[in-house]
Amino acid sequence: MVTPFHRVNVLTGVKSAIVLDSAPDYAALIKQARRPLLVLGPKLLEESLGGKLLLEWAMEIAGAANMATCATAHVKGKLVPMGVNPDSEYDAVEIVNHLKNPEWQGVKREGNHDLVIFFGFRTDLGNQSLSVLKHFAPHLRTMTLCKYFFPNADYSLPNFRKDEDWEGFLEELISSLKEKD
Amino acid sequence: MADSEEKKPKKTRKRQRIEETIRASDPWEPVGQTPMPDIPDLRNWDMRLMKAYPPMYAPFCDVCCFCTYGKCDLTAGKRGGCGIDIAGQQGRIVLLAACMGLSAHGGHARHVIDHLIEHYGEDLKIDLGSNVAVEAPNIRLVLGLKPETLKDLVTALEYVESELIHLISSLHTGQEGSNLDFESKALHASMLDHVAMEAADIAQIIGFKFPTSVAETPLVDMGCAVLDGDKPTIIVVGHNPVTSTTIIDYLRQNDLRDKVEVGGLCCTAHETSRYDDHVRVIGPLSRQLFYIRTGIGDVVITDEQCIRTDLLDEARKVGSGFIATSDKACYGLEDATEKDADEIVREMVDNGKQYLILDPHKAGQVAVRVALELAPQRRSQMISDSEAQELAKKCVQCDMCERVCPNMLDISVAVSQVAKGNMDPMKELFDKCLGCGKCQEECTHGVPVFQIMQTAARTEAYKMRTGRGPIMDTEIRNVGAPIVLGTIPGVIAFVGCSNYPDMTDLAEMAEEFAKRKYIVVLTGCAAMTVGMRKDADGKTIYEKYPPSFEAGGVINVGSCVSNAHITGAAIKIANIFATLPLRGNYEVIADYILNRVGAVGVAWGAYSQKAVSIATGCNRLGIPVVLGPHSSKYRRLFLSQKEEGDWTVRDGRKGEMVDTGEPSPEHLAYVTETKEKAMITIAKLCIRKNDTPQGRALKLNHYISLYKKFMGGGLPPDLHLYVRTDKELPIVYKKEAMAYLKEIGWKPKPVLTLPTLIGTYPSKVPPDAVIH
Repeated sequence: MVTPFHRVNVLTGVKSAIVLDSAPDYAALIKQARRPLLVLGPKLLEESLGGKLLLEWAMEIAGAANMATCATAHVKGKLVPMGVNPDSEYDAVEIVNHLKNPEWQGVKREGNHDLVIFFGFRTDLGNQSLSVLKHFAPHLRTMTLCKYFFPNADYSLPNFRKDEDWEGFLEELISSLKEKD
Repeated sequence: MADSEEKKPKKTRKRQRIEETIRASDPWEPVGQTPMPDIPDLRNWDMRLMKAYPPMYAPFCDVCCFCTYGKCDLTAGKRGGCGIDIAGQQGRIVLLAACMGLSAHGGHARHVIDHLIEHYGEDLKIDLGSNVAVEAPNIRLVLGLKPETLKDLVTALEYVESELIHLISSLHTGQEGSNLDFESKALHASMLDHVAMEAADIAQIIGFKFPTSVAETPLVDMGCAVLDGDKPTIIVVGHNPVTSTTIIDYLRQNDLRDKVEVGGLCCTAHETSRYDDHVRVIGPLSRQLFYIRTGIGDVVITDEQCIRTDLLDEARKVGSGFIATSDKACYGLEDATEKDADEIVREMVDNGKQYLILDPHKAGQVAVRVALELAPQRRSQMISDSEAQELAKKCVQCDMCERVCPNMLDISVAVSQVAKGNMDPMKELFDKCLGCGKCQEECTHGVPVFQIMQTAARTEAYKMRTGRGPIMDTEIRNVGAPIVLGTIPGVIAFVGCSNYPDMTDLAEMAEEFAKRKYIVVLTGCAAMTVGMRKDADGKTIYEKYPPSFEAGGVINVGSCVSNAHITGAAIKIANIFATLPLRGNYEVIADYILNRVGAVGVAWGAYSQKAVSIATGCNRLGIPVVLGPHSSKYRRLFLSQKEEGDWTVRDGRKGEMVDTGEPSPEHLAYVTETKEKAMITIAKLCIRKNDTPQGRALKLNHYISLYKKFMGGGLPPDLHLYVRTDKELPIVYKKEAMAYLKEIGWKPKPVLTLPTLIGTYPSKVPPDAVIH
C-alpha cells in the first residue's frame, strides 16, 4: 500500500485507492464516464507547474474531456478574469454532500455524476471529502490529479517526487483525452 | 374525584425533584416545558434541526476498534461485530468528543468552585455588577434555576454530571446505534457544556474579582518581546486560574510584583490577565512548545486543558523548573502537596526535581521562590540571524519535515532560505506553524527547526484587550432590536483554538466584519491571535475598534469558558429584548435564535474536543458555525441540501405552515478551505427568516459585496433564494440584481412576521409560546 506523502492522511482502514501512473489509463477511465465532474480546489490558484498556473492545467483537462466543472472555495475569483465561468459553484463539503445523493441531478441538471475528479486541494481536506464519497456514494467513482497520493479516492496518482514527472503525466493525459477513440 | 383533579396531570417524583432543585416557586419567571432536561426531552428539537441540516460524515478511518470484536471493517455497508454501521460509528465518535469537551469544562468548573468554596463558603453571592442582571442565561435556560450563590453553581454542575453518566453510557458497545440519536446526544452534551462553562466563569468572576459590567477592560502586552529578560520569569500554561492567581498573590504580598515576570500561554494567560493586567500574554496554544523550548521560563507551571503532554521533558531540557498543579495532568510526578515548601524549593533548585503540587498556594509560593533562585543561574536568549543561518546549513532538504507537518508547510524551503541568509520565508512560516514540533522530531539530520524559527519570533510585541466576561444587559437592550431586525447585520464570534491554516487569516477576517459594522466577539486563542497583527501605524485591532457590544465593536469576552457568554448574549436578546421567558424554555429560545438572531460562530483553528462541544452547543441553540479546513477531521458537519431541503416554518401569528424555500441559515456546521470563502459564507449565514426588508437589504449588501470582492464580480448564484421582495435588493446592486432575478424567473415571496419551527414537529411547547 502506498503511504500518502503527508502523514496526516495515512489510511486507517482497508479500502485504499488504486494507484495509476499511466496517463492513457487515466484518460480511458475519464472517457468511459458518462458524466464526469472536475472539482477545482484553491491550491490551483497558488501553485504553478511548468510555468503555467495549475488552474490553467485544470481547465485544459476539463476542455479536453468536455467535463463539467465545479469551483470550490474562491476559485471562481480567478476563473472569471481568465474569461471562464465554471459550470457550478459549491464548496468542497457542499459538492460531496450533493454527490452522495444518487438522486441528485448534477451540476448541469442532467443527472448525477458517475466520475468525480478532485484537483487542487489541501491533501487533508481533499482526502476527507473523498472519504464522504468512498463511504456514502457507492454509485460513483472518484479520482485525483494532485501531485500526491489520496488513499480515500478510488483512483489516485502516486506521490510524484519530481514536478517534471507530474507535469509529464498531465501533458500526456491531455493528449490522451484529445485522442479520438 | 372531581373533574378538575382528574384532568390535572400528576406530578412525577422526577418533576417534584426538579421543582425543588430549581426552586420552582420562585416567581421570577414561569417554568417552561423542559427544566433540567434529560436526554430524550429535547430529542424532537434535535431531529427537527437534523431534518433541515442532516449530518454529513467524513470518516477518518474505515474501521471501528472500540472493543475486542474488532477491528471491524465498516466499508461498503458492512457492520461491525456489534451491529454498528459507519454512520453510527461516526456519530458515536462525535458524541465521545462532545463528552470529552463537556468533561474538560465541567472539571474546570468543579475545581474552581470547590476551591472558592474552601475560601469563601458556598453562600458567596453571585453579583456580576450593576449592568448584568441576567447573570446566567444558560443555567436559567437549561435548568430553570436562577443561581444566587456558589452553591447554586454546584447544583448546576451536579445536574451536568448526572447527565454525563448517561451520555457516556450510551457510547458503550451494544447501546445506541443510530447516528441521529448519537448526534442528538452530542447536541445534549454540548448544550450542557455551555452550562458548565458558564458556571466556571461566573465562579471565576466573583471569586477572583475579574472585570464585569464594564466594556473597556485594560490593554495588556502580548508576545515574547514584551517579557523583560532580565527578570526571573514564570510561565503559566493551560486554562485554570486557581494556581496562577496565587502566584500573583504571593508576589504582591511579598512586594515582588515588579521583580518577577509572569507570562501566560493559552487560556491561563487570559484568566491571569483578567486578575492582573501586568501579566504578559505570550501567545496562543500554537506558541506553547516554541516558547517553552526557548527557555524563557525559569519556572513552567501547568494547570489543565491544551497543555502539551511533553512539557515536563521540554522544560527539563532547557533547565526550567516545572510544577504540575492539576489532578487532570500529573505527568507521573511525585506528589509534593504535603511536603514542606522549603524542601521542595531546595530540591528543585539544587537537584532539578520537578513536582506535582495540588495545593495552589504552595505551588504559587514555590514557583516564585524557585524562579528567583534559578534565574541568575540560567539566562536564555534567542539566537541571532547568523547563528540561525549556521544551524540551517545542516538541512539536506529531504522533505521529511513537510511530510509530517499537519499544516503541510514547506519547512525545508524556509530552512534552506535561512541558510542563504533570507529570513523572510521563515517569518511567513512562523505565522502558519501550529507548533506541534513534529518537524524537528522527524529530522534525521538534527536540524533544530524551532531554534531557527526564533529569528522570526523575537520581535513579537502586540496588544490584547483583556477578557471582559458577560455582555451587559444594557448593551443587549441597545442592540437587540437592530440585530433581530437585521439592521446590525450580524454578531460574529471568532472562537477556539489555533490550528489555523494561517494565523494571519483571523485578524483579517475579524477586521473585515468590524469595518462592516458587524459586532465581533472573541474568545480563547482566537482572541489572542487577532491581536497579533498590526496595521501600518503599528496598531492592533483592539486599539482601533470600540470594546463595546455595538455595531463595529471588537470584544474580547475571555477564555474558552467565556464562550458561554456568547451563547448567553444570544439568549439574552430573546429574553431581554423580546421578553421571552427563559426558564426551562429551551426550544422556544433556540427557535427564536435560529430564526431571528444573526449570530455566526467561526472556529477557524478548532483542534480539540472542547471545540466540538462548544460548537455543537451553539448548533443546538440555532447558531451556525464556520470551521477551518483542519476541522474536516472532526468527521461530521451539519449541512443543508440548499433549496432542495425542507425550509417549512409556521407563521406564528397566522398559525399557517409556509414553505419559504429560503435556506437560512444555510448550514449549521460547515468547513471551508480559504478565508475568502469563509467571509462570504459568514455574511450569508447571518441571514435569518425574520429579517425586515431593510435588514435583509443590508445583509444582502454585505453578502453580494464580499462575493464580488472574492469571486471576480458577478452575483451569488443563490441570491434569488434570499430575496423576498424587490425592496430587499441593496440600492447599489439593484439594477444588476433585478436583471438577474428577471432572467431566472424569480417571484416575490411573503415576508413573515413570526417565523417559527415550533408547530412543525412534535413538541410539548404550545404554539403560542413563541408570541411575545
